[in-house]
Amino acid sequence: MGTLFHFLPINLLAITAFLPNALIIKLHYQAIVILFIICLMIALLTYMLFYMYFKSKHEKKHVKWRIISDLLIRKAVFYDDDDEEAETLIPVTKRAEKLMRNKHFRALLTAEILSAKKNITGTSAENLIHLYQQLNLEKYALKNLKSRYWYIKAKAIQELTVMEMKEFQTLLYPFTNNHNELVRMEAQTAIVQFQGFEGLRFLDIIIYPISDWQQIKLLQQLSNVPPVYIDIDGWLKSANSSVVVFALKLARNYHRFELHDLILSCLDHPNPEVRLQAIHCLCEMYTDETSDQLISRFLKESFRHQLAMIKAMQNIGSEKDILFLLSLLDDDNHEMKLSAARALASIGKSGLTSLQDHVKSAGYPLNEILMQIKGELAA
Amino acid sequence: MKILVAEDDQLMLKMLEFRLKKDGHEVIVTHDGREALEKINDFQPDLVITDIMMPYLSGLEIIGAVKKKYPTGTPVIILSGMGQENVVMEAFQLGADDYITKPFSPNELSVRVRRFDMSIVK
Repeated sequence: MGTLFHFLPINLLAITAFLPNALIIKLHYQAIVILFIICLMIALLTYMLFYMYFKSKHEKKHVKWRIISDLLIRKAVFYDDDDEEAETLIPVTKRAEKLMRNKHFRALLTAEILSAKKNITGTSAENLIHLYQQLNLEKYALKNLKSRYWYIKAKAIQELTVMEMKEFQTLLYPFTNNHNELVRMEAQTAIVQFQGFEGLRFLDIIIYPISDWQQIKLLQQLSNVPPVYIDIDGWLKSANSSVVVFALKLARNYHRFELHDLILSCLDHPNPEVRLQAIHCLCEMYTDETSDQLISRFLKESFRHQLAMIKAMQNIGSEKDILFLLSLLDDDNHEMKLSAARALASIGKSGLTSLQDHVKSAGYPLNEILMQIKGELAA
Repeated sequence: MKILVAEDDQLMLKMLEFRLKKDGHEVIVTHDGREALEKINDFQPDLVITDIMMPYLSGLEIIGAVKKKYPTGTPVIILSGMGQENVVMEAFQLGADDYITKPFSPNELSVRVRRFDMSIVK
């Protein structure tokens, strides 16, 4: 070993003696680079070891926390069953109580309570709300409502909604008109959850649009509560077009026939989505003059709206519309032809006869369309 | 009664296991559809409670497999967040014996399970 130790530098010196200076500098430079790479590898390895150590420690802690929170939730869910003489407070272990000071544990427990609450109803769900309040978790949710980050606010609103914290609805109400879409979606959902149809009063004040998805969500929520008569006339005249669209959907879903004339006036709205929704609405709520109103606006509209009008005529068309519908059979667009033919067939015998007579003088594709419609009528 | 519970939500699975064990049943749990089928073959449970949306195999596929293997016995209860009419109808058409939509009441589940237990006793 000693021989080798002495041999290497001597040998190197012996070699360098014969080498030019430039090469020696290059060799030194290479040694520095190799040394640097070795140091970097050692540093990286040390970092990885530390990272893995702390990660495993964190995971172990997380597993323990999960066990504690699972036990706590299980105890709450089946609380009434456990003790014959039920106490007011759900028993919480000292360890869990101590851990409640840790914000990460609180976040984990809150997430688990919410997840369980979403899946459970009845006494067990009430017990979960009880546990949530007992641990003062709503206090942290209220604190998060004041956060400057939108996602924390949205999460807090959702948390209070799932946990049915109705007492805070006045605090949530202003968020229904928040500039952030997700915050206001959560707040609108919360208010409707707490108050049902009455909660829709936020439509009076919102200046931001309600997305299509949010409209579907709200209508779905409302379908779970008994219908209550609400005044929607004002919303049909709202300056916010999305509110008008939503009000039209409400009028259609809840058959508000008394609003027919107001809905008709929406056919002249500057926003094309409002006009389209008004056509859909009139398809369900119509009088014998509705088709005339649609026909009088037909030429002013885009193809999408024209098609919607003709599809509506399948419901509201009558014998007086036959000539108009026959004229559409010569349209260049096949979808328009098919819709007009369907509308004619739905008018009744006179409509179908007019269609057949027209087809006799025309060829493809009307003969095919007629065959398809006859098939549909037979089915 | 020997009950197999297939549910991918761990917390829900633990709660169901706890509740059913408290009711005096022997409970076998699994969190994916493929494992559920293996356990059905191995343990031959008296009742299967399954979610619909699960990894590898859906609850609907499990009903099909159970009803094919045990045409007269082994009732299946579906416990799912999917309450749409077409899904419920499909489940019953495949042979499901009961359908519980989430959120559900554990007490109600307990009573429904007992109903199948009574039929076995009879």
